[in-house]
Amino acid sequence: MNDAARAQDASADGSARVLLVDDDEVNLMLTAIALRERGFEVFEAGDGAAALDRLDRVAPDIIVLDALMPGMDGFEACRHLRQRSGYAQIPVLMLTGLDDDASIERAYSAGATDFFVKSTQWSLLAGRLRYLLRAARTRVELERSKFRLARAQDLARMGSFDWRRGPVGADDRGLGQLWLSPEALRVLGRNVGERLDVRALLRMVGRSQRRGLIRMLSEVVAHNAVLATDVSVNLYDGRPRIIHVEAEAEFEHGQAVGYTGVFQDVTDRRVAEDRIRHLANFDALTGLPNRRQLIWRTERALEQARRLNHNAALLLIDLDRFKNVNDTLGHAAGDELLMEVARRLRACVRHSEQVMEGALEAAGARSHRTLEAVGRLGGDEFVALLPEVADDADAQRVANRILDSLRDPVLVAGQECFVTASVGIAMFPRDGLNLVDLMRNSDVAMYAAKSAGRNAAQAYSPHLGGRGREKIELETHLHKAIERHELVLYYQPKIDVRAAKMIGAEALMRWQRGSQLVPPGDFIPLAEETGLIVPLSEWAVREAARQARIWQQSFGFADSIAVNLPSRLFERSDLVDKIHQSVTEYGMPHRAIQLEITENNLMKDLHNVSLSLHRLNEIGVEISIDDFGTGYSSLAYLTTLPISELKIDRSFVRDLGITPQSSAVVSAIIALARSLGLRVIAEGVENLRQMEVLHKLGCTVMQGFLFAKALPPEELEAWLQQTVLPRKAPWIGAVTDVEPGAVRMLASGTSS
Amino acid sequence: MQTPDSPDAADPRPGLLDAQALARLHELDPGGQAGLVRRILATYAQSLQRLLAQLAAARAAGDREGMRHAAHTLKSSSASVGALELSALCAQAEAGLRDGDTAALPALLDRLCAEGERILAGLSVR
Repeated sequence: MNDAARAQDASADGSARVLLVDDDEVNLMLTAIALRERGFEVFEAGDGAAALDRLDRVAPDIIVLDALMPGMDGFEACRHLRQRSGYAQIPVLMLTGLDDDASIERAYSAGATDFFVKSTQWSLLAGRLRYLLRAARTRVELERSKFRLARAQDLARMGSFDWRRGPVGADDRGLGQLWLSPEALRVLGRNVGERLDVRALLRMVGRSQRRGLIRMLSEVVAHNAVLATDVSVNLYDGRPRIIHVEAEAEFEHGQAVGYTGVFQDVTDRRVAEDRIRHLANFDALTGLPNRRQLIWRTERALEQARRLNHNAALLLIDLDRFKNVNDTLGHAAGDELLMEVARRLRACVRHSEQVMEGALEAAGARSHRTLEAVGRLGGDEFVALLPEVADDADAQRVANRILDSLRDPVLVAGQECFVTASVGIAMFPRDGLNLVDLMRNSDVAMYAAKSAGRNAAQAYSPHLGGRGREKIELETHLHKAIERHELVLYYQPKIDVRAAKMIGAEALMRWQRGSQLVPPGDFIPLAEETGLIVPLSEWAVREAARQARIWQQSFGFADSIAVNLPSRLFERSDLVDKIHQSVTEYGMPHRAIQLEITENNLMKDLHNVSLSLHRLNEIGVEISIDDFGTGYSSLAYLTTLPISELKIDRSFVRDLGITPQSSAVVSAIIALARSLGLRVIAEGVENLRQMEVLHKLGCTVMQGFLFAKALPPEELEAWLQQTVLPRKAPWIGAVTDVEPGAVRMLASGTSS
Repeated sequence: MQTPDSPDAADPRPGLLDAQALARLHELDPGGQAGLVRRILATYAQSLQRLLAQLAAARAAGDREGMRHAAHTLKSSSASVGALELSALCAQAEAGLRDGDTAALPALLDRLCAEGERILAGLSVR
């Protein structure tokens, strides 16, 4: 049992254990009785040796030793006792005679806790014993407290220190004396027991900081002021740490004699704080200043520009078709792209990395230059802040540099991507006097650049205002159009003029915004630009399949509905699956859906598209080439592609019967189609003349206003019922035919 | 079995031992239940006898340290039981032996032994 536990026990049950050692039996007896009377548990020993013997078995809380004993006297017994493990701190009371001064000295040097002159006033002795026991307990508590404090300090990487001023004239050169607690030494990476003086401590501070630190310390000490500061030190093993020091002056008799305080290793906290500040100001992905930083920098730059009376410029950089990359290659690739773009953009300006906060340190008249940077606003939008420009041309030069930097392809996910940007330039003070105005106007200019064809820079001018806003509005609404069921498919029938029946229909997208029908020319290009065309097209395929089913049930429709797809969709690996899903969802065969792709789009992306075409063909989806004759077809490729149909572009149909060339072209197309075994259909047939000529040239399937314009499905059904089936239309029977059966059918004429 | 003390039964004849000291001893065992005073006096008597013998032997052998020790021990136990005169003599003897003051020593030691015998005799009478 150690000292602490023992002392605890004594206080707990009230009866402390006393080991009484005296060679005088009478005294031993009397003392023992007296102490027992007073609540102590007493164990007796007649000499030193006996006492040491009984020690472990008795486990006393306090030992009373008579000083003068034969053999081993009290002093020797005490010395032996102190060397025993666990008994270094136990209270020992030495009993001495009244006039025995020598004993008193010897008692203390032998390690006795206290001495007591023998007397017959037993209560005095008892009192002294209790006092010693209490003191021992307090001391144990104190030790525990100190231990806990030391542990807490260690955990907190803190340590205490004391500094005493050197007396005037001492040879420590006024540096004074320093005492460091073991924890403090540990904080500094030193071993317990090492002595460090002020000089050694100062040597741990970097040379450049040292002088300033010494100056500051001298000031503080001179005024007995409170010390609180951070110091960057290098530990002996080279590690750099940041130590926070706090200390107060200590006074004795009204005089300042030194300082007492603590210091703490706050490196981790500072590193975390720095990181937080960095995160708050810099974009995590690209490392560029974020919106917050940009705002701060721009406002400071404008202040300076105002004061110093020069121009500044804000360039808004928006990547073109960034969503393409995200959609086709995935978000990880999109992130890679942004990082590479950020790198290139940063190189276009005098970019400064410092976190800017608080007042700009006026490092000179040109300090605003350090504000120059490219930052990321968010998404695929960047801003270049030019705190000082001479004129328009200056800003334009930077813009061009930016456009140039994006000229080379970016390698992402193992693929080469071409990315361009639209840049809007707004100048201070001409295009705006504050951040908000400049941002807005650079945005307007940027959109103008975009609608002008992208991959360009555009300086702001007031007349650009209107269009940009409209466009943003349109785009926002288009996003929601599908959800709100504002998108509808209208259908234009394809007619076999000999049989006078509908043999299919082309689905055309319409956008019904309330009472307004937005023409496809207004939203399809926007959809393509923003990538919305993908979900729109997917929706169209599903909707067409659904409609085919309805018609099948309604009037036995067994033909196909053609949907126009941009080439982009053909490149997607999930196209076939999506189409398969759409038709099977409505229980329709694959041939219920036909896909139309323009000749131009096909040839532009032939390589990427052909794979999908083959797979689609395999499952039974037919492919039709739209606007045929207007593109740059490679006839060689044409023969290898799994297509089913060619649609003669309306431009050729328009001039049929008027110019001989159009007939020649149309003939050629028809012949080509026939020789390749492809169906042919003429678009844009608007009058009987065109129909007749086409028929003569051998084209019997047609589409156009002559028959019906694109109609909502119910109206198309109605048209069928009212016009085609009862054969009540001007174009029906207008053509004579080779096949006798057909003529007879026609001749048998109308019926109700 | 303890024989309870009555104050008269335990105490030696009045005047032999200091009344106050005796009173303090009685305090240790107020009701006399434990026969404490009797036992203490008995222990003292034994001790006194032994120490007087030790003292005489040391004196004969010229063993100053031995004499000093005996005197020292006897001093405090005598004081405890109230043999104050004896205790004082022991104190003087101890001091003399320590300081090397040999002149007055023999006479002192004689008086010490005499007083010791007297107390011993007084205690033996029951």
